Amino acid sequence: MHVLSTTRPNDFDPVSLEIYWSRLISITDESAAALVRTAFSTIVRESNDYATVLMDANGDSLAENTAGIPSFVGILPRTLRHMFERIPKESWRPGDCIITNDPWMATGHLLDVTMASPIFHKGKLVAFSGSTAHLPDIGGSLWSADCREVYEEGLRIPPVKFLREGKPNEDVFDFILGNVRVAEQVRGDLFAQVSAQQVCARRLSEFLDDTGIADLAPLSGALQTRADRAMRQAIAALPDGEYRSTVLADGFDEHETRIECRMMIDGDRMHIDYTGTSPQIPRGINCVMNYTHAYTVYPVKCAIDPLTPRNEGSYRSMTVAAPEGSILNPRYPAAVHARQLTGHLLAGAVYGCLAQAAPEKVIAECGGAPTTRALFSGTDKAGHRFSQIIFASGGMGAGAANDGLGATAFPTNVGAGSIEAFESAAPLIVWKKELRQDSGGAGRRRGGLGQDVVIEVASDEPIRLSVLADRVRHPAPGILGGQPGAPVDVVLADGTRPHPKSRSALKPGDKLTIRYAGGGGYGDPRQREPATIADDVKNGYVSAEAARRLYGWTG
Amino acid sequence: MSARVRVGVDVGGTFTDFVLVDEARDLIFTGKRLTTSRDPSDAIIAGTERLLREAGRAIVELDSVVHGTTLVTNAVIERKGAKVGLVTTQGFRDILEMGNETRYDLYDLALERPAAIVPRHLRHEVSERINAGGERLLPLDEAGLRQVARALARDRIEAIAVCFMHAYRNPVHERRAREILNEELPGIPVSISAEIAPEIREYERTSTTCANAFVQPLMQRYLGRLADRLGGMGHKGTIYLMLSAGGITTVRAAREAPIQLIESGPAAGAMAAAYYGGLTETPGLISFDMGGTTAKMCLVEGGQPARAHALEAGRIRRFKKGSGLPLKLPVVDLIEIGAGGGSQAWIDAMGLLKVGPHSAGAEPGPVCYGRGGTKPTVTDADLLLGYLSPDYFLGGEMQLDRQAVERAIDEQIAQPLGMSVLDAAIGIHSVVNENMAQATRMYIAEKGKDPRRFAMMAFGGAGPVHAYGLAQILKVSRIICPFGAGVTSALGFLVAPPAIDLVRSYVTHLDSVDWAAVAKLYAEMEREARALIAETGADPAAITIRRSADMRYVGQGFDVDVELPDGIYTRPSATDFQQRFFATYRRLFDRWVDGVPVEVTSWRLSASAPAPTVSLNFGGHSAPTGAARKGERPVWFARTGLGPCAVYDRYGLAPGASFAGPAVVEERESTVVAGPDTRVTVDAHRNLIIDIG
Repeated sequence: MHVLSTTRPNDFDPVSLEIYWSRLISITDESAAALVRTAFSTIVRESNDYATVLMDANGDSLAENTAGIPSFVGILPRTLRHMFERIPKESWRPGDCIITNDPWMATGHLLDVTMASPIFHKGKLVAFSGSTAHLPDIGGSLWSADCREVYEEGLRIPPVKFLREGKPNEDVFDFILGNVRVAEQVRGDLFAQVSAQQVCARRLSEFLDDTGIADLAPLSGALQTRADRAMRQAIAALPDGEYRSTVLADGFDEHETRIECRMMIDGDRMHIDYTGTSPQIPRGINCVMNYTHAYTVYPVKCAIDPLTPRNEGSYRSMTVAAPEGSILNPRYPAAVHARQLTGHLLAGAVYGCLAQAAPEKVIAECGGAPTTRALFSGTDKAGHRFSQIIFASGGMGAGAANDGLGATAFPTNVGAGSIEAFESAAPLIVWKKELRQDSGGAGRRRGGLGQDVVIEVASDEPIRLSVLADRVRHPAPGILGGQPGAPVDVVLADGTRPHPKSRSALKPGDKLTIRYAGGGGYGDPRQREPATIADDVKNGYVSAEAARRLYGWTG
Repeated sequence: MSARVRVGVDVGGTFTDFVLVDEARDLIFTGKRLTTSRDPSDAIIAGTERLLREAGRAIVELDSVVHGTTLVTNAVIERKGAKVGLVTTQGFRDILEMGNETRYDLYDLALERPAAIVPRHLRHEVSERINAGGERLLPLDEAGLRQVARALARDRIEAIAVCFMHAYRNPVHERRAREILNEELPGIPVSISAEIAPEIREYERTSTTCANAFVQPLMQRYLGRLADRLGGMGHKGTIYLMLSAGGITTVRAAREAPIQLIESGPAAGAMAAAYYGGLTETPGLISFDMGGTTAKMCLVEGGQPARAHALEAGRIRRFKKGSGLPLKLPVVDLIEIGAGGGSQAWIDAMGLLKVGPHSAGAEPGPVCYGRGGTKPTVTDADLLLGYLSPDYFLGGEMQLDRQAVERAIDEQIAQPLGMSVLDAAIGIHSVVNENMAQATRMYIAEKGKDPRRFAMMAFGGAGPVHAYGLAQILKVSRIICPFGAGVTSALGFLVAPPAIDLVRSYVTHLDSVDWAAVAKLYAEMEREARALIAETGADPAAITIRRSADMRYVGQGFDVDVELPDGIYTRPSATDFQQRFFATYRRLFDRWVDGVPVEVTSWRLSASAPAPTVSLNFGGHSAPTGAARKGERPVWFARTGLGPCAVYDRYGLAPGASFAGPAVVEERESTVVAGPDTRVTVDAHRNLIIDIG
């Protein structure tokens, strides 16, 4: 198909390119819909922890699904290259599907499974479909940051053929299903990924038939060149220089962690270096390089080039380095399960640097970075096992023009679920879920509010609680004169505090309060407009007392 | 039933459309006037009077007026409704504001959320609590509620929404709260969530209840005035309103739950498409309605448009999912995207050609209108490609400026992209078709269907112009273009049945259903539905009832709509339900999962009376002359490039006429485009049937 009257083969004019690319994205979106609508994993559903990607015969990305989250951006092509090292490309047959969950090859923890399948058209290998999704279970300790090595965290699957020419490799199946608690759900989700890839392959064949394109590499090349050019223009518009920032975090018990970030802008290139960052620790908050890279480049794009559609080319002008053996580039067999507790903080580190180059483009640190999650599991009165995550977020950091959004996560994007649905699935009563007054960092623009959630255990037997949180001792700092938001607190009615990164037991009748952190403020609070302060007080976002103390309000 | 005179009125943003059916004479009359936004009943009265005159009928002969309006949707979009107070369970007043906590745009750091309909200082909490099983954990604090009522009075609120946790399961506290609020604040309407949206998920239920309260005073005033004015003219018949799911209801029911009218216009379009589907004996249709700013697509099968149980209204970022207010209500399931004749072309940061969603609308409109529009639009491209005639736009009422278009496209698109003006116009036309095709394909794929098995019905001003291009991408092989495309939607009001959809959430594993509770739910719903339909004057004996349930595997978050049998359910029904769930699941997803329990979340009932029939004998239009071929002009098609193409006059085409493409068929409100690989036939109802390939 030639769209325009003057189009020559492989000469991608701006119309054909737009049309081809929108079709390819629509293929990955259709593939993603097949995955997410049948997923058992609540993380896939509420937290969009999945991606479907179409890659050309070289393994370069052509298109990714629209709603996929940044942690998976650009990682699949890297995983595919690791797969080629184990299983040479020549030995991939039609109908094959290769699987792995190796944290270093893929997205940083065992619960994410990545699959890739070759797509043949008219007998020739033309593309690869890939998908990554979070499983409900992968064995091991499940939902804990307290492991010391990755071995404790579950089953590690090296790249192996999961399907051979369309038929399940039963040995691999048996190994996986023999290691998980909810075998049928895991089987269901693995096949959801397989179906997603089949949709992708089928639709790509139609695309190739319709367009007459035989080789996709020139198309991916043209798309990536354009995305690359847009990002380079955005970087070139920033003042050259070297900028530094430091982010401190709770880490694990005595291992407090520190992220040192150095951003170098030179013409149309940006280099980000994490030299000086804490060494890896024997607990599950180490963040593999793939994840470090993804959470470094994503916030840069949000700040300086938010409108260009993304593809792999978007990040060619950026390089990211982290010392081997650090929490941002740990050596095997480091424990990595809760790598987001470290990785989500990188946005703050990046914006700390970028604020010096382009203060109007960044936001203060977020209360929802990292996410605060709590999982409740046990047995209900009828004897059914339950396992429910309470989804809620802290407040976003404020920007130059906007207050931070309350109860909204960044850099990840987590949905809230429904309390009524939560209570229908577990013997738990939620007594409160409301915005947390005075938790947003004061500033000319106020940080977003965190929230308070109060949950009572209504089972007959003790249940297990797993908390994964940070920012207990290190609230989200403000920026350019803004104040920090309120810290996280997880506390029982009797005043005791469960471990924020480990497993504990709750008794029937226990009442747990989770206080989600507020976002940092932006600019001097004394410069906030009195009418805006008055409105905050009227609506109870800020107490009159705090308004007087922090903003100098006289109302 | 005796022969009647009925009028359908569709109050749109720009135009109010009218259709009159005179059953005794077997004739249809149509009309169109500018909408009078200050008081829409002005245009309704004037238009109805004129149509009656044309039809030679007196107002006392008018049996019924069926009405749909954009008033509700506009009030929500523009946030121009009542001052609402919200009363919630202690601890939950911020649910309305926090919503689902997601960012609808992953890259926008300055993202804005739609403002909550009720600001925080007007949201009040009272102590009370029902649990997920419907049991009372805490009694309703009546004294506390009376204090809240006094605070609401001080704030001079105009409507109240009440939403308590798990009220869908046990409405006793909400009902008592309404009694107390009625005592304390007589004359202030109170919407309770257990009646407006009795479904699990507190955010969506609260949002829907608040939206209802928000539009209620406005709609009550409007409906009262309309009834008074029609009555004052001597109208003795009944006024009906179109619901978002395509059924009609009484004014009384509409006043209780006006939020149900929010999609009445689009629902009418879908009902019209369903009617044409039956008329042309087409089992499966994609209804494609493309106007000035948007295109709407809806799947119609077996005479019924697809339906959904929720929608999002008042998006603050146009067409961006998640940027609006979720509403839980029965609605015709259609997609609407920012692709219309007025959609503007632009070049993005990657140097690629984009079209929409920004639209020039009707004012200033496309460049070719010569009314001050400067940015090239889809209509402008269609003019350069020969699809539209500069001399026969709106039947020749408006002359189109071709030179201005060439200049604008050259400067803004062709030169920056390094291509010819013709290529730029081809690009705009192709990109907008592609946008519509991708959205349609996704919408159909999510239903587990294949677009190739459907015909397309094209209407709206730009629908018949773009249907051929769209059909080619989707590999649809038949297009139906109804006669009088400009008022097709309004016809939907006159072919819609009295109907109602009800729901109750009760979450239960299939292996432990309390069947007596389910029987009670269905008995209640059936009683309520029958009463509502009987109120419309329909024959109670002719009411049909359908049941369905939202089911899923335990642990999943997406429900599947499963049809249930009628009758009394007992323990063995669980096996039957499970089989039905598996079959539906497999149809949608090509597989099913073994060994995972199944649960039901919501139980649904739809009731309807038979739909009226209308014969399509357009009065006021002269009989076809047979002198149909007007001439020839250059028209662009992908296969042939810019080449000579026959031009026909729609009004000259008689039933039975048939000719080969390429062809352009002109009518007042639109132009039908048929490519070189088509055969065009005029059916008995003067619809054009285009067969491709």
